[in-house]
Amino acid sequence: MLEQSGFVDIQIGPPVDTFGGAGGESKARLFEVYGYAFLAHKSK
Amino acid sequence: MSNGLPVDAIALREEVKSKYRAVAVNPHAGYHFHTGRPLTRRLGYDETVVTALPDSAVEAFAGVGNPFSVGGLQRGERVVDLGSGGGFDCFIAAGQVGPEGHVVGVDMTEEMLGRSRATATAMGLHNVEFRQGVIEELPIEDGWADVVMSNGVINLCVDKHQVFAEVMRVLRPGGRLQFADIANGKEVPAGALRNIDLWTD
Repeated sequence: MLEQSGFVDIQIGPPVDTFGGAGGESKARLFEVYGYAFLAHKSK
Repeated sequence: MSNGLPVDAIALREEVKSKYRAVAVNPHAGYHFHTGRPLTRRLGYDETVVTALPDSAVEAFAGVGNPFSVGGLQRGERVVDLGSGGGFDCFIAAGQVGPEGHVVGVDMTEEMLGRSRATATAMGLHNVEFRQGVIEELPIEDGWADVVMSNGVINLCVDKHQVFAEVMRVLRPGGRLQFADIANGKEVPAGALRNIDLWTD
């Protein structure tokens, strides 16, 4: 979706277990939900 | 939905407001997600920086990752934070860009704006401000920002193409988007996507 929107040089960081130990953990596990950091640039 | 979106954007927005209004007013109530200082440690924020912040800047934090993990900000940069909530990421950004930089947090929830503005005043910060608005229609002029950041907010918007189009509009050429958000490894069934409650729970 970032590429479709015109962003370039896209990087994605490693997954983080955002919901581990929280109330939403079971739903997160069901759909393998993790947090990620993203970096994308607008062309010059 | 006749517009091709799985849920009604306005209804979802109201649901999100309700959820985060509660977090702003009572950040320690216990939610399906972590909040506050324990969450910042889980997500790998610089503990020295977080420790220096007052509780009011941290306790309503409900991000899902660390947008600074993919790169810091430069002195003097102009930054927009989409869905700034209690202002936690904005306060970190304000420290990185320094007095010659400027940070604008955008949030739609009155209670979060009240919290973040009060904290900025208490901290004596002059390089950060908070504006009310939705991230599909940012109250920012074209090409103003060097950096757009966000944390756990874009996933709560049904029309992500519109959000990214707005980010493109407010970024200067060569500017960057650095954000944290959740992504799922297993496909969510179409029926579940149409259940508005599952978007915020």
